[in-house]
Amino acid sequence: MSLPRVVISGMGFVTSIGNSKGAVLESLTSLKTGIESIDFIPGTKLPVSVAGTIKGFDTQSMSWAGWTWPEGYSFSRDILRNMPPHGLYALCATEQMVADSKLSSEQLSSDETALFCSSAGSPKLLAHYLHQIVDSKGQRVPPAGVVSTIAGTLNFHLAAHYHIHGSVVGFSSACASTTQALGYGFDEIRLGRHKRVIVVGGEEVGLEATYTFHGMRALSRQSDPLKASRPFDKQRDGFVGTGGSVALVIEERESALKRGAPIYAEIVGWGQAGDGHNPAISDPEGNGLATAMKRAFKHAQLEASVIDYVNAHATSTPAGDASEAHALKRIFADCGLAPKISSTKALTGHGLSMSGAMETAFCALSLKEGFVPGSAHITELDPVCNGLNIIQKTEKYTPRYILKNSSGFGGSNVSLILRSIAH
Amino acid sequence: MITPEEAHKNIKESLVGFPKEVTEAYLVFASKADMESLDKVVTGILQFYLAKAPKSALSEMPGTTRLREDLGMDSLTMMDTVFLVEGLFSIKLEDDELVKLSTLDDLRQLIHSRFPSLSKSK
Repeated sequence: MSLPRVVISGMGFVTSIGNSKGAVLESLTSLKTGIESIDFIPGTKLPVSVAGTIKGFDTQSMSWAGWTWPEGYSFSRDILRNMPPHGLYALCATEQMVADSKLSSEQLSSDETALFCSSAGSPKLLAHYLHQIVDSKGQRVPPAGVVSTIAGTLNFHLAAHYHIHGSVVGFSSACASTTQALGYGFDEIRLGRHKRVIVVGGEEVGLEATYTFHGMRALSRQSDPLKASRPFDKQRDGFVGTGGSVALVIEERESALKRGAPIYAEIVGWGQAGDGHNPAISDPEGNGLATAMKRAFKHAQLEASVIDYVNAHATSTPAGDASEAHALKRIFADCGLAPKISSTKALTGHGLSMSGAMETAFCALSLKEGFVPGSAHITELDPVCNGLNIIQKTEKYTPRYILKNSSGFGGSNVSLILRSIAH
Repeated sequence: MITPEEAHKNIKESLVGFPKEVTEAYLVFASKADMESLDKVVTGILQFYLAKAPKSALSEMPGTTRLREDLGMDSLTMMDTVFLVEGLFSIKLEDDELVKLSTLDDLRQLIHSRFPSLSKSK
């Protein structure tokens, strides 16, 4: 019996570079950045002053009742009332995905549909609620203080709203989380446990969720939005935070075809490996990521030579990008291979746990629409990248296979291989 | 009792997005300390928090309307309402009092009990 083929059959976006598939596609092809100046603490000059902001939403209020969102969505109070701000982004992205994939409410709530989510929770609401508890000396404890702030908040809310009866799982491997979720979702479908898996990543952007990374000097101190996030550039000095949400559905190819859903790409294998090195810093030699890529090729029964494009994890930190460059050289350049490589985080900023889902969706668009996004904002390529084919402009070109890398705190490295449906 | 200044501050911090009737009643209560406005605020908050909007305004429903069976109030809705009412009126409602609440009138009477001087001012 042959194993089911797994395809990406729907997607939705609330990102710094667009709140719809069309807007994201336009930004990727024209290399339009979503990064802009931001006052993390209004009226205070801080060393970090840029972020990949979300446009068209106002989620500044601590209460859902004060939020606004773009036209075209209708939500009842029972779903919004205990949600964190980025839950609203996730809801909008998932609504887009459901419409795009033509999934019915019966299909969503059948026991053949699973939901895998990831987010860092809501540091903003958590800080607010903790202040209330401490200021009242423990007398005033917000009722939704737990479900709206902890890391599983997106799966809690989305599972209830869409009446999910398949597996409901949260992933907590930092910036590798949603790529891992796609990998494990792929396994679930291959093993016949589910027909489809919805993968949603979502993050806040702001003082509590973003600026806190400045403590470890992980954020860029550049004030120019066009220079702050520049993966693989010699002068890169840290990442630029972003938030939003991206929702994808992966499913059995036959199921998607039967429904008439759009098929963007096929997932053909994945691999992962740990660095075993440091809680927050990548292995300088990129050993874990190199192993993850090798395992992905072995899983997919493919050689590295089939890869036409690599969407790198590269966040624009000095150490992380160098580590990935070493790993990529070992897999490709040292074997005489030169696939096109870019990091779309130059445009979006780094979306932490949602970055894997976001960039996998970009890869799927690349395969479907026939383009490869450039690695923007590079003025002088870091010599550590010598031998790598890092493209700086978007190219009109249809890859056959794409490799998507993600790495997270704790040395979690994940590589996912996508194939063009035209192949 | 809350002052009009405190009321304006609380509206800005805690009643963002609430219907105008609720914020207006809260401001009236801050200046007149009347029971009618107090009831309007409490039922208005509960109505706003109910997962499914009631068929008519809670203020127009009989006092015997049951919170759980008729209005579908769950424990989170109850605690959201209590949390906000406690903050807006600087009162404290005890857990063993809350578990005894069954109807709209029960809820109103419990809140009234925290304002004994208002009992005959309606």
